[in-house]
Amino acid sequence: MSASLTILAQHLLNGVLIGCAYALIAMGLTMIFGVMNIANFAHGEFYMLGGFVAFYLVSLMGLNYFAALPVAVAAVVALAIILQHAIFRRLREAPMMTTTLVTIGLSIFLEHVALLLWGPQPQSIPTPFPTKPLSFFGVYTTPLYLFCMAVTAALIVVGHVVIRRTRMGKAMRATFQNKEASALVGIRIDRIYAYAFAFGAALAAAAGAVLGGFIPVEPATGGIVTLKAFIVVILGGMGSFVGAIVGGLMLGLAEALGAGYMPTGWKDAIGFFAVILVLLFRPEGLFRRV
Amino acid sequence: MSRRIATLAVLALLCAVPLVVRDDYYLHLFIVSGIFVVAVLGLDLIVGYVGQLSLAHAAFFAMGAYTSALLFVRLQWSMWLGLPAAALGVGFAAFVLGGVILRTRGHRFIIITVVFAELMKLVATNWVDMTRGFMGLPGLALPKLSLPGLGSLDITAKSHFYYVVLLAAIVAFLLCRALVRSSIGRKFVLVRENEPLAESLGISAFRYAMIAFVAGAALAGAAGSLYAHYVGFVSPDLFNFSYVTIMLIMVILGGKGTLVGPALGAVLFTFLPELLREASHWRMITFATILIVATLFMPKGIVYPLVAYLVPRRWRLSDAHAA
Repeated sequence: MSASLTILAQHLLNGVLIGCAYALIAMGLTMIFGVMNIANFAHGEFYMLGGFVAFYLVSLMGLNYFAALPVAVAAVVALAIILQHAIFRRLREAPMMTTTLVTIGLSIFLEHVALLLWGPQPQSIPTPFPTKPLSFFGVYTTPLYLFCMAVTAALIVVGHVVIRRTRMGKAMRATFQNKEASALVGIRIDRIYAYAFAFGAALAAAAGAVLGGFIPVEPATGGIVTLKAFIVVILGGMGSFVGAIVGGLMLGLAEALGAGYMPTGWKDAIGFFAVILVLLFRPEGLFRRV
Repeated sequence: MSRRIATLAVLALLCAVPLVVRDDYYLHLFIVSGIFVVAVLGLDLIVGYVGQLSLAHAAFFAMGAYTSALLFVRLQWSMWLGLPAAALGVGFAAFVLGGVILRTRGHRFIIITVVFAELMKLVATNWVDMTRGFMGLPGLALPKLSLPGLGSLDITAKSHFYYVVLLAAIVAFLLCRALVRSSIGRKFVLVRENEPLAESLGISAFRYAMIAFVAGAALAGAAGSLYAHYVGFVSPDLFNFSYVTIMLIMVILGGKGTLVGPALGAVLFTFLPELLREASHWRMITFATILIVATLFMPKGIVYPLVAYLVPRRWRLSDAHAA
């Protein structure tokens, strides 16, 4: 392979993991948006907390890395259930301004609680993987990277199957399309709200816990992650799961290419411009509602 | 009559502030709260009167600060030229942005305003040739005020600049009051309360949302210009999300859809955080809690209902009531 092709392949590989993470986070965000009609500005905080709890468990409590990942996700889901009961349940019929302001408040609240608990330093979760890089035809990667990519990709498939193939997923999609009709056929809407919220939080926390070994987490991460996930959701079409997955991968790859070929600092602008273009020319998003 | 006396009394009190407050630090807080009044009244137009949640307002403020700073540093324009230029420039930016995003009101609008704010922050950070990036633009100065026939007046002292800010706040208040009391202002409220009804009467929600959005952004730009010249330094930190949160708290707790409420909210929430200065993490946690609780349980805010309760109607600075 020629040198420039190898570099291109390297950039693309770097983008796949981030893309998978974006997809995971955006799937949950789009689910919460579709079912609860809430733009959850605190969604990225679940990612951040997933990373921090996993870091806490591994580095400060000495828990095994592979055990820490599911425990961290469970902890964040527990928090999400509490939040859903304390706050989000009250937002069901609330106007958009109210729901948005409350989730913004919650996002600041969680960020600063994390700051208080763990400090502002970026933290990496120690992993048991060897750090020696692997090389395939001149493209470098690490065992950790391959593990993270496999886990995130598997979680996307799991999320997709839950939404598409299970009774719960079917009930969620039904609620998504028409709340009254779903309630009429016996779907417990309040329960669907709780499940959709927990499901979204679980996916975001899993992404955070897995990526935390690779990209250091800090309390401020949540805000950026929320923004990126919203970009993906708008790109893919609000409420579209396929759109969230494809949009997430596309944004991840585009940013990796941008980081490789554009002046430093402008990589984050790609998503912003993409969103404005999509809004101008295809406001319903690249994929229609599924 | 008694209303006029009350108005004069309030004005006299406001004018007396630098004579009574000798401490530089508290005077500084009064000046900053005056600047916030200008910005927050602008935010109230779009959030309180038209009912669209804009998260780009702090970015408009920062853009005004940068416009004024760049004109000063590169072209030696004083604040007297820089301030209207900042208001016009930011208003025009809001007009272009609004043309793209006000057609999709709702969730998309809110999200795009954040995206826009982040994009502007990236520009301020990365366009190093123009903005010097993270280093910011230092060395802004306050202008001289030259009055024909009277010579020039030095306004660089805090106690003098206070009056410039006070004047700006009063002008902003009167402009907003004239706007919300006009037929345009009534259409703002109609669009907020019942958009389909407004459209069925031939009132374009897009147009009136745009008027509020542009006017609000221009006020934010003017406030940003005052701030830049007062502090003497601008940096990309001005684009931080925490500023828009604070402005929203001022509007929401002040009482959105009224003018007196957010204006008093701006003063209150400039002074209050300073009292909590010792514990900065707890400060943001407290703020976030206040925002959540107030949004959920006190949709009318705190300040305006309190004023309405305490001050007899005939004394009140007449305020356009939210319908």
